[in-house]
Amino acid sequence: MTTFLTFTILGLVLGSVYAIAASGLVLTYNTSGIFNFAHGAQAMLGTFLYWQLTYGWGLPMWLSLIIVVGLVGPAMGAALHTLIMKGLRDTADVTKIVVTVAILLGMVYLSQWIWHPEDARIMEMFFGASAKIELLGVVIRAHEIICLVVAAAIAVGLRLLFTRSRVGVVMRATVDDPDLLRLAGHNPDRVAMLSWAMGSTLAVLAGVLITPIGGGALEANQLTLLVIDAFAAAMFGRLRSIPRTFAGAIVLGMTATYVMAYFPTDWTWTGNFRVSLPMIILFVVLIVLPQDRLRVAAVRTRERYRVPSVRSAATWGGVFVAVVFLLSLLMEDSSITTFTLGMTFAIIALSLTVLTGYAGELNLAPLSFGAVATIVAFHFGVAGTGLAAHLSLWGVLLAVLVTAVVGGVVALPALRLRGLYLALATMAFGVFLSNMVLRDTTEHTLFGVTFSLFPNGTLIVPPLKVGPLDLRDPLTFLLTAAVLFALIAVGLVALRNSGYGRRLAAMKDSPAAAAMLGQNLVRLKFGVFMLSAAIAGLGGVLMAGASGSVAGDNFTIMASLGLVMLTVVGGIGYVSGALFGGLMAGVGFVIIIGTFNDLAMADPAMGTVYTSIGQLAMVATALIGMGVGKNPSGTVHDLVGSYRALRNAKPVLVGGAAAEAVLYVLALTGVIGNWWFAILTACLGMMLPVLGRMLMPAAVLGAEEAARRRSTPLELAGVEEPYTEELRRRLDRELGLPAGAAPATPRRTGFPLAAEEGDVHAVA
Amino acid sequence: MNAEPEPLLELVGARAAYGPIEVLHGVDLAVGPGSVVALLGPNGGGKSTTMKVCAGLLPLTGGELRFAGRRVNGVTAQDAARLGVCSIPEGRGVFPNLTVRENLWVATGTGATLAEMEEAAYTRFPILGERRHQLAGSLSGGQQQMLALSRALGTDPAVLLLDELSMGLAPMIVTQMYDTVAQLVAEGLSVLVAEQFARAVLPIADTAALMLHGRVVAVGRPGEIEDQLSSSYLGG
Ligand SMILES: Nc1ncnc2c1ncn2[C@@H]1O[C@H](COP(=O)(O)OP(=O)(O)O)[C@@H](O)[C@H]1O
Ligand SMILES: [Mg+2]
Repeated sequence: MTTFLTFTILGLVLGSVYAIAASGLVLTYNTSGIFNFAHGAQAMLGTFLYWQLTYGWGLPMWLSLIIVVGLVGPAMGAALHTLIMKGLRDTADVTKIVVTVAILLGMVYLSQWIWHPEDARIMEMFFGASAKIELLGVVIRAHEIICLVVAAAIAVGLRLLFTRSRVGVVMRATVDDPDLLRLAGHNPDRVAMLSWAMGSTLAVLAGVLITPIGGGALEANQLTLLVIDAFAAAMFGRLRSIPRTFAGAIVLGMTATYVMAYFPTDWTWTGNFRVSLPMIILFVVLIVLPQDRLRVAAVRTRERYRVPSVRSAATWGGVFVAVVFLLSLLMEDSSITTFTLGMTFAIIALSLTVLTGYAGELNLAPLSFGAVATIVAFHFGVAGTGLAAHLSLWGVLLAVLVTAVVGGVVALPALRLRGLYLALATMAFGVFLSNMVLRDTTEHTLFGVTFSLFPNGTLIVPPLKVGPLDLRDPLTFLLTAAVLFALIAVGLVALRNSGYGRRLAAMKDSPAAAAMLGQNLVRLKFGVFMLSAAIAGLGGVLMAGASGSVAGDNFTIMASLGLVMLTVVGGIGYVSGALFGGLMAGVGFVIIIGTFNDLAMADPAMGTVYTSIGQLAMVATALIGMGVGKNPSGTVHDLVGSYRALRNAKPVLVGGAAAEAVLYVLALTGVIGNWWFAILTACLGMMLPVLGRMLMPAAVLGAEEAARRRSTPLELAGVEEPYTEELRRRLDRELGLPAGAAPATPRRTGFPLAAEEGDVHAVA
Repeated sequence: MNAEPEPLLELVGARAAYGPIEVLHGVDLAVGPGSVVALLGPNGGGKSTTMKVCAGLLPLTGGELRFAGRRVNGVTAQDAARLGVCSIPEGRGVFPNLTVRENLWVATGTGATLAEMEEAAYTRFPILGERRHQLAGSLSGGQQQMLALSRALGTDPAVLLLDELSMGLAPMIVTQMYDTVAQLVAEGLSVLVAEQFARAVLPIADTAALMLHGRVVAVGRPGEIEDQLSSSYLGG
């Protein structure tokens, strides 16, 4: 009985902290329509700051609390809204998700930069672990009482806010109809900002409360994921109802503690199961609860993609393989292997191009599907031993097939869900896989077979060997990966140009309309999801082969999120975006950090500066991810657009190609180092469109636009040309004068304000 | 100087677009102080778009929007509301998941107090007073439209924009609604009202404008315009 009571109290405490975190999430989702994946990261950042103030600098607890929860929390939320979220109106679900994912990653990188991950940091319970009371034989600590009281106070406070204050009522109205709110004289942006400030405060509060409960150790990834567990609670309330969210949170907390209490101790996987439980519940809740119906109107979004023809894709595929070959001549074996690794990531990223770019659905855990394939290949695909060990073609095919099936199984229940929910389901799968399968390192016996899924925590995966093709040779591996990438990419472009691809695009633009046209959406989504999982699986096996050995850490949800973000930054609608994203996520970071660490070693006096620059580069990448809100079509789209403009400026293009050829020869003959070659190539690539515009404006911009750019400056207007009506209007406009002949004295007309105000814009 | 009173609300060559698709191709329209202008025309002619432009919900891509003779292109909807433009959008201008009273509370965004709002609304429409704690979404169509119109009653605007007030309502309710509008006009309010079917609004309109394919093609006395409207319907 005492055990039961003890665990019930513990469950309630855990549930109450989940409730605090989840209510913040619901708040921001409702007023701005953005599901904040960074919620957990905000909690993490706030908690680290609290630790720094209290334990690092020795401020009194109450002062740190005021600073962190009272000031930093709201300021962080308000800043996020003003700088980023406000700009996300009219963007696709995918863009909204990726931007918050980028914020999540940016915050994690930032915290790892400021607070080195290898130092241990412990946070005590409030008033210490020894401050406790005993009730009916159950020991309750002061910290736990605080959690319960705070959660209850927040529940009551939110209730009062939403029913008894105008601003709360206006917040609820935002959900219904922001335009109508404007017509009533409110500013929905300000309302949303307030709710972001509140949501962020709740996140920070939850982080500070939950850390001591979870053991007290501060670790950025873990703490971020801990609050992500609250997603399941929010889903109980279908992201709308705060009371139901609270109920869901309590259920979640209780279940987790009862699992700890009552599962037999000789089940080796209980601990893993308990950690995965919120994600399992999230998955189940997503499937069981009825979701919003499809919206009928097409979503008008700002993302734009051009579809290349199969022929041009094939040409570019050939060029790509040739360029990879030429580059490989510049590299040593170790760099070639790194390059290969990046190429395999690019293949995984292609799985996102077809799923997200073409079909508009999101998979937040592509690497988890790679992990599934790797496990299958490891168990069933390795032939030979020792140095002769290799992966067989059949092994790889089996792995890809199994992954496709697993993809189908994961997606099937979630197929009728809208983008956000499918994204959450894949994330739940990814976290579950990391916690349960990739940590399944001890042996079990089931039906007489003794096995473990992930023996010893590392899988040694030898490279593929098919007939004479042996990928043990680095250059062969690189070229094979490049050819595979090109083949899949061209295949995807062909798919996009086919009737099937057009159906996918129709589904992406307007699911409801596509359904009305008689498309079977479930089958369409199912097929594309399996295809995508298969591609991710192939990339995953190759990736494992290129690394030689992989551990659970290679497939974490954070790594997956990084890949997704960078692919969107590159351009999710393009196969070249996948190349960019894969190379950056796979090896870009490693190279950047590695280079600056080498520099730091070589020059110890400047060591910290160089290391900081390396870290800064990571944070900067996340900043680019946040910029996706401004430029949702991706960098590749812009680059292609600027080169498309150069089409008529042949001399510029030829000149650029010649300059690049010279650079290459210089690099090949060792006159300039590879770094200089890379940097100069990047500069040349970016400068060429600008140069083109300067040198041949008429060819690049078109005659009309070029003429407009040359138009008369304002102060010279009318001097050398006739003073026309058109010109007079332009002057009026530029000088901000009222149009037409302004009356000498504006009469009072019945407008309460307009007649007195000099300029209406000033009223804002 | 000018003998004619300056219009309170005026569109000059107004153009507006949804994304790349231009819907208004140069609309000229003026609402004088204390007058009622009926904007008539078939479905898809651009009436609702014109209303959105006047209310500040949709930016102009060309031409001018003027309040009391002043160019206010780019004014936000909330500023337009504070300046005295009260707009009741097409469909039901209420928040379905808020109660009647909460709806009135939200309507106080332009400066009125909740007490004034409730007073004005419940006096004119006693039924709303009886249902003050009911969710607006559960009211009948007519009651919802009364609630929407209450915003105009309590906030004392200078111009009222009404879009399809009569849509989906029983004729008797429509008459009652326009009686209310007529009383507001008698107190000095100016009104721009968009209707697909002219019958309901003609008795209170001073001027009517016929809108076709994103342009105002005729302005005149309500009777004349109605004739043109029916011929434009017959002519396609
Ligand atoms: N939100 C919108 N997005 C794109 N086009 C729209 C939108 N609303 C209306 N339209 C188009 O604008 C045109 C004018 O519509 P509207 O102003 O609603 O006309 P009316 O109110 O006279 O029926 C129509 O062709 C309609 O299809
Ligand atoms: Mg309309």
